[in-house]
Amino acid sequence: MLDLLFLVFLFPLLGFFVLAVSRGHISERTTNVIGIGAVGLAALTTALVGYTFLTTIPTGGAYTQLLWQWMDVPGFHPEFALRLDALSLVMISVVTGVGFLIVLFSAWYMHGEEGYSRFFAYMNLFITSMLFLVLADDLLFVYFGWEGVGLCSYLLIGFLYKDAENGSAARKAFLVTRIGDVAFAIGMWLLVKELGTLNIQDMVAAAHEHWAVGSGVATAAALLLLGGACGKSAQFPLQTWLPDAMAGPTPVSALLHAATMVIAGVYLIARTHGLFLLSPVAMQTVAVIGATTLLIAGLCALAQTDIKRVLAYSTMSQIGYMFLALGVGAWGGAIFHVMTHAFFKALLFLASGSVILACHHEQQMARMGGLRKKLPLTFWSFVAGGAALAAIPPSAGFFSKDAIIHLSYVSGHHGLWLCAIFGAFLTALYTARMIYLTFFGEYRGTTPDAHGHGGEVHRPTGLAHHIPLTVLIIASVVGGFWGLKLIDVLPAAPSGEQPMWLEALPLIVSFAGIAIAWPLFMTFGKTTERLTHHGFGNAIRTLWLHAMGFDWLWDRLLVKPWYWAARFGRRDATDIFGRAVLETGFTHANQLIALTQNGRVRWYAASIGLGAVLILAAVIYS
Amino acid sequence: MNFTSDSWIALLPILVTSVTVVATMLAIAIRRNHKWNATICVAGLNLALLSCLLALNVAPQQVTGLLVIDKFALFYDVIVLGAALATATLSFNYMEGYAGEKEELYVLLALTALGGLVLVSATNFVTFFIGMEITAVSMYGMIGYPHRDRRALEASIKYMILSAIAGAFILFGMALIYAQTGTLSFNQLADGLVSGTFAASGLLVTGGALIIVGVGFEVSLVPFHLWAPDVYEGAPAPIGGYLATASKAAMFAVLLRYFVESRAYESALLLDILSVMAVLSIVVGNVLALLQQNLKRMLAYSAIAHFGYALVAFVATGAFAVEAVGFYLASYVVTTLGAFGVIAIISTPIKASDADTLYDYRGQFWRRPYLAAILTAMLMSLAGAPMTALFIGKLYVFAASIDQRLWILVGAVTFGSAAGLFYYSRAAIVMFQRRRWVEPFKAPRNWTFQAGGMAVITLTFLMLLMGLYPQPVMELIKAAGLHAPQAGNLALNVLAH
Repeated sequence: MLDLLFLVFLFPLLGFFVLAVSRGHISERTTNVIGIGAVGLAALTTALVGYTFLTTIPTGGAYTQLLWQWMDVPGFHPEFALRLDALSLVMISVVTGVGFLIVLFSAWYMHGEEGYSRFFAYMNLFITSMLFLVLADDLLFVYFGWEGVGLCSYLLIGFLYKDAENGSAARKAFLVTRIGDVAFAIGMWLLVKELGTLNIQDMVAAAHEHWAVGSGVATAAALLLLGGACGKSAQFPLQTWLPDAMAGPTPVSALLHAATMVIAGVYLIARTHGLFLLSPVAMQTVAVIGATTLLIAGLCALAQTDIKRVLAYSTMSQIGYMFLALGVGAWGGAIFHVMTHAFFKALLFLASGSVILACHHEQQMARMGGLRKKLPLTFWSFVAGGAALAAIPPSAGFFSKDAIIHLSYVSGHHGLWLCAIFGAFLTALYTARMIYLTFFGEYRGTTPDAHGHGGEVHRPTGLAHHIPLTVLIIASVVGGFWGLKLIDVLPAAPSGEQPMWLEALPLIVSFAGIAIAWPLFMTFGKTTERLTHHGFGNAIRTLWLHAMGFDWLWDRLLVKPWYWAARFGRRDATDIFGRAVLETGFTHANQLIALTQNGRVRWYAASIGLGAVLILAAVIYS
Repeated sequence: MNFTSDSWIALLPILVTSVTVVATMLAIAIRRNHKWNATICVAGLNLALLSCLLALNVAPQQVTGLLVIDKFALFYDVIVLGAALATATLSFNYMEGYAGEKEELYVLLALTALGGLVLVSATNFVTFFIGMEITAVSMYGMIGYPHRDRRALEASIKYMILSAIAGAFILFGMALIYAQTGTLSFNQLADGLVSGTFAASGLLVTGGALIIVGVGFEVSLVPFHLWAPDVYEGAPAPIGGYLATASKAAMFAVLLRYFVESRAYESALLLDILSVMAVLSIVVGNVLALLQQNLKRMLAYSAIAHFGYALVAFVATGAFAVEAVGFYLASYVVTTLGAFGVIAIISTPIKASDADTLYDYRGQFWRRPYLAAILTAMLMSLAGAPMTALFIGKLYVFAASIDQRLWILVGAVTFGSAAGLFYYSRAAIVMFQRRRWVEPFKAPRNWTFQAGGMAVITLTFLMLLMGLYPQPVMELIKAAGLHAPQAGNLALNVLAH
């Protein structure tokens, strides 16, 4: 059964191919059969392969399916092979399982939209690339999937391309993650130069053989890979693209920016953990980046007014937790959080999509409220997802986040542990704020605004809407009881004792956050608003609303100087070189050589004779 | 030389193709009907292709002193026959609109394929020359086939005169070698050199140099390249495709065999000459292509450059030069045939001139998305983009030349790749521009269901397959390697200096 593994990514690939060549000439129903069916088949195959794998675990805890050798030149033999072990099994289960539910939900969300089959084609291609990324046994093919994911995220964020804003959000996501990708690529070159292979297992083994712990080159390689991971996973300092990426349709946000794409960075670090273990500096950096991001994103989420942006920042901050876990050596905890996060974040995004459509594309929470009675399923989705996000027992998020916080204490990183505790408080606070503002109080969007958003709420219908939400509610609530056995693949977590009262602290701060949020934003909401719109309060709120000013900062530090340099470079010395040598030089060279092409047979024959004479001269005089 | 039944089986591809020539001619004599005459030719070529499988079972076979049917020959047989088939299917729809008599084209096509088959099996100067002339003479007829078209006629006459001159050089080179050694067989030449039977003399190297002149003309290497753009431009698009691919690949194959089997490979001087020609071809071909507005001429220049790359792989005598050249030629043939195929389909049916200026392709994507996508894929392959056939091909060229530390050649290939990216992308971008739709060319809507369309689609799949899953082709080529006679202390190296 394990040899069916290649079908997992082949099905969505075929789905993409069929939808792509149909050029939009097929009906929505046919598109559904192909687009959803392909992902469904991939999920079924995953279940089958996963069942076989878990019942009879192969020797060494991993199964490698060698498909073919891509090329074979001296010193470089990348093999196209798929590797199934506990880690990649978790990842493909998340990608195909959650992916299937999201694609199913899209059938409801995108109904009647322009470019329906194009949308499903992109979604299928995206899932293919992601599966490729997590199954590949060779960093070269990981990179292949990595770039495919980047391309698809560009296509999907800019799906509604007629609005120029969406186009620029797509470009921003593409370019910012590209910075990380360049670091990743340089890291790969470094690895192939030093170790001669990109096969992950061989590479890690060779690294342990040739490099000492803490050696410079190991640190450089690990940090470069970390750069790539930061780009894809929206971590400090490359986090700015994620909130803007909410420009895509909501199922896209659920798939790309919650459940799959952004966890690619976490996966990469977990997969190459052998390399990171060689470099304490890199490990420390991972942990610090994670802690920084989770705090920044937590604070920013508090000030957001757009429901999807709150979720975007919460994603960023949860991935911060995963990085923190990786950095302190809690490898399994990070992957466990990847899984539970995929459940509840997909749920929250899909539910927010449900709210947004019910309110006629309204996204501002200021114009929502009181939707509890009007949208019961959506409300309970938010409660389940929100509880998991805020780590309230017995939801899935509680188990995974608690494990991370616990492990960061016992591994001795007390400062980072404090950040994590504060982050937990912030998470509960903004989650509660979002739910209160949306579902409690009075409905504030009764009259449609200038764009026709808001107005009468209509309750969503249809199985394509209900099934994904219901399944994800169940997964978010009970998903944490399904512990992961990653010990074959990832090193054991650090162990140690923690005082009892510290053990309870995360739980206490979470409840505190939920409790404080009600008076802060509901009972005395007006007061809070007045305080945060004047003087110092206003400054803080504006700073948090605009993502701590990182956009502004990068704009001043990078974008503006770049533009300036480009304008300056328009008339500088290098340009003289460009014009004189490249343009003029090649134009003249072209014209000069083109003179020989004069169409005259006698000249052509003479040139043959001339060439022969030259060659003979070379023979005779050598 | 005894002639066993195995020899007959080995000769099957050549025999079947010969029968195809005669059968097509007779069919025309019986009843002139484009469809059924073309079908006979295509069926014959298919049979010849299938008979390669039979021949594979008995390979290698030395048939008299003239031909050897080994795996190397069979590999190139498949390329030649495949290209001929693609050309035949493309020509069928293309020639439908031709006012004159269209049927003889298939006789000439089968004949030129026969020449290619003889060429790649040649182990003797006699068969070398006969194969070359069969190819060339039938090519004259095909290039000038629409003989009322001035450009086609001009191209045909140019090709005839110049190719005769090149033929004379080759013949003279052969004569010099014969005068020195008294043998025309590649193997005996090598044996004699190893055992020291032949006195080392400059005559031998001079003869080799003259053969390089002739072969250089046939595969259009600088400075013998001037005919290529004019002839490609004038020739009907499907024929141009055959000329650019199969006939050149066959010529290159015989050069490879001659060099390996007669051990001319060991002459540093000849390799130096070839290196200079490779660098010149890459630089001149690319520079000429940079500003070219005519797609067919651009492909001609790019062919000059690409055979420069193949020559680089050839000169890099590393362990896998024959592999590198084989893969490069195979991927080049598939890609270029595909590109000419799209030109032929867009120019179908035949008119006063083909759709060959870039202007004709402006906005093509918005009208004929699949055709434009295929042409784009082919252009990207020529530029060496990853996931395409020529990416792998070029990788082998780079690897072979870097392995041998031939830095000047590596530099030339790098320059060529950069320049190529410019003009191939330019041609591709034109198809996506949205301005001023002119539609002087109305490719048939149902092209995907026509034979030529299917050939182009097959070529596209093959091209992508070779880029993503090159292993099977690689293994074929490895199996089809040439084996030089066992090393001995060879005088050629010394004699050259």
